[in-house]
Amino acid sequence: MIMIYEKDVMALESYKIRTPEGTRDRLFAECVERRSVQGAMTSLFKQRGYHEVITPEVEYFDLFVRAKNPLPQKSMLKFVDREGRLLVIRPDCTTPIARIAASRLRDAALPQRLYYNQTIVRVNDTDTGSDSDIAQCGIELIGAPGLKGDIEAVAMAVDTLRAAGAGHFYIELGHVDFFAGLVADLEIGKDSIKLLKSCIEAKNFTLYEEVIKSISGSDADCLRRLPYLFGGEEILDEAYNLTDNTKARAAVDYLRNIYFELKAAGRGEYLRFDLGLVQSIDYYSGLVFRGYVEGAGNIVLAGGRYDELIGDFGADKPATGFAVYVDSLVSCLPPVDMTMPDTHIYYEPGFLSTALQLLDSLPKGTAVLSHCTSMSEAESTAKNAGIKRLFIVSDSEISEVRLNAKS
Amino acid sequence: MQNLKLAVTKGRLLEDSIRLFEKMGLDCDELKSPGRRLIHGISNYPLEIVMAKGPDVITYVEHGVCAMGIVGKDTIMEQQSSFYEVLDLGFGACRFALAVKKGYDFYGSYKTRRVATKYPNVTKGYFLSKGMDVSIIKIEGSVEIAPLLGLSDGIVDIVQTGNTLKANGLEVIDDICPVSARLVINTAAMKLYKTQIIDFIDKCKKTLDQK
Repeated sequence: MIMIYEKDVMALESYKIRTPEGTRDRLFAECVERRSVQGAMTSLFKQRGYHEVITPEVEYFDLFVRAKNPLPQKSMLKFVDREGRLLVIRPDCTTPIARIAASRLRDAALPQRLYYNQTIVRVNDTDTGSDSDIAQCGIELIGAPGLKGDIEAVAMAVDTLRAAGAGHFYIELGHVDFFAGLVADLEIGKDSIKLLKSCIEAKNFTLYEEVIKSISGSDADCLRRLPYLFGGEEILDEAYNLTDNTKARAAVDYLRNIYFELKAAGRGEYLRFDLGLVQSIDYYSGLVFRGYVEGAGNIVLAGGRYDELIGDFGADKPATGFAVYVDSLVSCLPPVDMTMPDTHIYYEPGFLSTALQLLDSLPKGTAVLSHCTSMSEAESTAKNAGIKRLFIVSDSEISEVRLNAKS
Repeated sequence: MQNLKLAVTKGRLLEDSIRLFEKMGLDCDELKSPGRRLIHGISNYPLEIVMAKGPDVITYVEHGVCAMGIVGKDTIMEQQSSFYEVLDLGFGACRFALAVKKGYDFYGSYKTRRVATKYPNVTKGYFLSKGMDVSIIKIEGSVEIAPLLGLSDGIVDIVQTGNTLKANGLEVIDDICPVSARLVINTAAMKLYKTQIIDFIDKCKKTLDQK
């Protein structure tokens, strides 16, 4: 007994058998599910005038090192090229596209509508059960400043999840200016703002109340309510009435405008708001949004306006976009039924062409060629495999044998 | 309305949680005689209680298989995961502290200090905030032994009464931070089941305020 156990452990330790931490082989139904969701989304993107870009799987580390980079360096999978330069496996889809917008598409007519359907790699802590190998599918709308650009992005987000077949889902909107407006007038230091942000983001009500106690001023009450300011349309009215800060009110009005337009377009039921969506990173510059689907424990879609990013690469262009975490989305959809072949086609030597013609005329995936060398062997093999029909192709005639599948 | 799942840390936090639930008017009969079952229903509230170890509570909540969890702040600080931490439940109160052999001058040397702990991330964070680089040794239990055997210069651990430290000739030289049980919520669940979750949070809060 002990010997067998040790052998098993050794097999587990073998890097020949295991896939690297956070990755796995995906077979059959998993592929069909991923591909069909990707297909539904990308077909919507194409329908709406978005064009695909494919960026390199491998990039220089430097591309992702910027002052406002939200990616911790330990989450990137790094290695060194022949010249000793540091490379990473693509950890994010938007940054390479920002580079394209500032270089190859520098002088292209705006707005540019781009989409991608790629994988990224993020290194997680060991044994957390999180995937490192993440399929992302999303859009970037470049050179579309203002309300109509944001409306298009949100409408795309709603319709993308609908097209993918998500049932009960919300796209939740927030705006960075709401919080920025509130704290602008307060006499508090940068560190306190950082702490407040992280408390709101984590909805750490306890610590937040502790920190906010020391803050006074006309907007203190509004700040106190901020972590609770999430939910339906009514949140916007509440937020508006809680403050008379111009910037904060403008942010609420902006969200309202987006909401009304989308509501009139029959998409209001999918929208929610969280004014506490403040992002501990300074990556987004205006509207931010996230998608939640019933059945997924994590965010399924994330996006927003990032007007500063492309400027980092030398061309100021406003931009907005979002990414869908494909596998998280797939996990909340009903599983697909796989078609398994129930028909064998046996052919006599010289009749391959007829056999292939027959194979291609049958419904997709339902039939396969039999490799047996005699008719009787073909019949017994098919029977044993639980196959329902056997076609015999010989002398330019096709005969069908009905088999009673084994019970 | 579907039953949400609440993961509760087994042991003392579970006992304290049951006391809180009873004050909230939740029927805890099944919870109080659990037998070997690990998941229990509450007959008069749409909630199921999952009993788990602290770090696992965090794992279940983070993956969203449990919408809510009750877990010590010590475990939260060590695991550094992302979810909403909405309420300090007050019970399970103790503190993180740095302790050394009585009379030992921990800071009186340029040598890199060696610290034994069950909480390497908390320890790393604490000394980082002091601008100090220390070498950390992870110990699984009874950390007090490490300085006694000469393995480390000090320990970082949770301290409740300080009796164990005293009995082993150790003393606290730095208080790091207080810890207590927290109610945590999965990010997506908070958004998808807002009414139900806010109702539970408010009930907890009201009951805690009555004390």
